[in-house]
Amino acid sequence: MISLSSYLFISFTLFIAGIAVMIARKNIIAMMLGIELILNSAALNFAAYSRFVNNNLEGHLMSLFIIVIAAAEAAVGLAIVIRFFQIKETIHIDDAAQLQS
Amino acid sequence: MFENTLFFLSATLTIVGAAGVVFSKNLMHACVLLLGSLFGIAGLYATIGADFLAASQLVIYAGGVVILMLFAVMLTGGSADSSNKFGIEKIPGMGSTKTYVIAGFSVLVISFTILKLMANFMKSYKAGELPAFSSTVEEIGTLLVTDHVLAFEISSILLLGALVGAAVIARPRKG
Repeated sequence: MISLSSYLFISFTLFIAGIAVMIARKNIIAMMLGIELILNSAALNFAAYSRFVNNNLEGHLMSLFIIVIAAAEAAVGLAIVIRFFQIKETIHIDDAAQLQS
Repeated sequence: MFENTLFFLSATLTIVGAAGVVFSKNLMHACVLLLGSLFGIAGLYATIGADFLAASQLVIYAGGVVILMLFAVMLTGGSADSSNKFGIEKIPGMGSTKTYVIAGFSVLVISFTILKLMANFMKSYKAGELPAFSSTVEEIGTLLVTDHVLAFEISSILLLGALVGAAVIARPRKG
């Protein structure tokens, strides 16, 4: 009864939740939470396909690389957010409107 | 039976956590709910026999990324003023009845189209029996240093660059 489409449905829900967060929130950190959700849905898809379609471990490796990339992205993104907060005293996305202050 | 129970618990945790991230007003609560969702995904990895993936998901996300997010939330003033500035119903065009009706119809049309397209593909992959449990750590380690050694080294360089870049960007500057 647990099939590939169960995992695809959960992954789809996560993706939609991430897109909704990225559209609706105006806080940069909240938008990064949405990005984490989207990356996780992709990683879950890779692992589910490698379990149900071809029984090898390539999908697991792709999920591992996705986790590594998400960690790097979170570190650099949060550094940029903190620097932006030091300059502008806000983390509202609409205040990030100019390249050079 | 145990596998089904674990699957449903993890799926519920994942979906409820993701919905909480969408609808929670407080940013701190959103971070903690994201942590719950990531725990659920680790449980889902466990149900498909990916033990190393589940463990690294727990270690990296729960121990690293969410803690980093919480630090950034606290360093940038936390959830102050978040209820009237960052709430989902304060965005123009989100929250009126017309928006929800149009969005509902769009979701119906798009999901029927996608399901119609994917129906054959989904039906053709019934759940096979999960093979007897064997640890995937050794095979993943072997694959990482044989077939995928280039991606492995590139990801280590990426992590070094992210480390140095984060330190350079976030350092305090005079003036």
